[in-house]
Amino acid sequence: MSTLEPVIVIDNLHKSYGTVEAVKGISMSVERGEIFGFLGPNGAGKTTTIRCMLDVIRPTSGTIHVLGLDAQRDAHELHQRIGYLPGDVRLPGQMTGKQVIGYFSRLQGREPVLLKDLVARFDVEMKRPLKGYSKGMRQKIGIVLAFMCDPEVLILDEPTSGLDPLLQKTFNEFLLEEQARGKTIFMSSHIMSDVEKVCQRVAVIRRGELITVEAVEALREKAGQHVTVEFGDAVKAEELAQIAGVSNVSQHNHSFNLTVSGTMDPLIKAFSRHEVIRLQAEEAPLEEVFLKFYEDTGAGTSPAVNAR
Amino acid sequence: MAITSISTKSIPAPRKRAHGLAITLQALRSAQIPIGSGAFYAFFVALVCGLIYPSLANFNLGAYLTSNVVAGLVGAKLPNASSFSALIALELYSSFYGLIFGGLVAYIAGAALPTTFENGTLDLALSRPVSRTRYYLELWLSAVISALILSVLTVFAVWISTLFVTNAGVSWQWLLTAQATGFAFLFMATGLGMLFGSFLNSSRAAGGAAIGIIGLFYLMNTLGGLSDKLSWMQKIQPFYYTQAVQALALHSITWWYPWIPVIIGLVTGIIGLVVFNRRDLPTI
Repeated sequence: MSTLEPVIVIDNLHKSYGTVEAVKGISMSVERGEIFGFLGPNGAGKTTTIRCMLDVIRPTSGTIHVLGLDAQRDAHELHQRIGYLPGDVRLPGQMTGKQVIGYFSRLQGREPVLLKDLVARFDVEMKRPLKGYSKGMRQKIGIVLAFMCDPEVLILDEPTSGLDPLLQKTFNEFLLEEQARGKTIFMSSHIMSDVEKVCQRVAVIRRGELITVEAVEALREKAGQHVTVEFGDAVKAEELAQIAGVSNVSQHNHSFNLTVSGTMDPLIKAFSRHEVIRLQAEEAPLEEVFLKFYEDTGAGTSPAVNAR
Repeated sequence: MAITSISTKSIPAPRKRAHGLAITLQALRSAQIPIGSGAFYAFFVALVCGLIYPSLANFNLGAYLTSNVVAGLVGAKLPNASSFSALIALELYSSFYGLIFGGLVAYIAGAALPTTFENGTLDLALSRPVSRTRYYLELWLSAVISALILSVLTVFAVWISTLFVTNAGVSWQWLLTAQATGFAFLFMATGLGMLFGSFLNSSRAAGGAAIGIIGLFYLMNTLGGLSDKLSWMQKIQPFYYTQAVQALALHSITWWYPWIPVIIGLVTGIIGLVVFNRRDLPTI
């Protein structure tokens, strides 16, 4: 779906607030037609990076180019071609959904061509004053505001925050449709399952530093598979732990739980020497890999930076 | 990856839409309450003046109004205060006008920018093709229009009050001159307010600080009028150069004085614009 044409290029981005360095030299690129996940724990620097992209705050050093335009110098031209969804959608309480959409459509300077479709798909309330809206209802208005004028690039900060599971599913389907129409989507999220479903690549940021940029498929491979096996004969945990690709071996009587990364072949061959009563294998959730990145190892900078 | 039905239907390219003065109009909607309060004050005072003037006309307030203390409070010495023009001038165009209407306009201007941060529209607006300069200037324009609305309503209120007085004797030329002088002061209040709003994130803090400065000027004007030794204090603040009461009651004015508050307003407003353009906008 994506082509190897960088649409977002962040080069050595630094952002400091006084003595606090919120973003420490991030470099990465997002390709045209890609859904790119930007992950990290609270306070990692995700929103700071996004706000630099929008020229709402100015980088201390480094550059950001979106669609070949400098995010600071060419902000006016760039903003005609992007859509933005903030992390916490807040809107003037006295206005109705219809009024707020009209207002931002005028500011965008373009007709909201996707409005009807979005309102129907997300069941957006348009007539009541916004002060009575729940977080989820405001989020739906935020989604409409970001997408309604059909921008080329979408910058979404926690887009499914506050949405119920059904709407999260609808939103993920909508993202994939937009991607199929050639849109480039950069989204930060805390919800790993959403990222896993829609993103092709993810960047993980922690304490302002980029920890990794990897394809979701590669991460899935890294996550490996969870295997549960029950033997009819006596098997030692040490024997299983020595098999290539096997880790996290735990034993309960004759049953073992373990994680396998890479091919299963060495494991199957080792099992064949014993009497196997029950065998179950399932893909390990990506969440485990992300959480490993999130954990502060104290090792300082990037263990596996693989930024394009 | 779970891919469900994906449609690639064609969607027409969005047509251009006129931007107009969307930000200004939205800000004016937000300022309805203070504008309404100012209008109520103007009409209430003007009507009361019209209704009580026949009773007040026979009082001799000359000694009272020419005392330093009262002159300091109202911002001018009025040797003859028995005319209806003088009464209206005292009630609606003295320093109180600057204090009350100036305070209202300063609050409207001070709160204009931080309100859009508080209600979440600032980030959303600036992520669209709207420059910070345009955003700021449209908000400033909304404050100036608010000042203009209050000025027009004040003149209208005075006209209403003259309907209650026989031979009111108000010179419309000098009334408009007085109002223009008052508007110059209100313009200064917009610049001051915008300056505070450019760097404070709370609408109440910015509006309150702008009112505080107007209050400080009023205090300096009052204290400066008490003694010749303190007259310097009057001359370094804009109330001294706002001779609306003299214009309406005495038909005299120093022609270049109104430019002083206008210049202060322009300078403070432009400093605010520079500050707003350079700063990082706060996170929610």
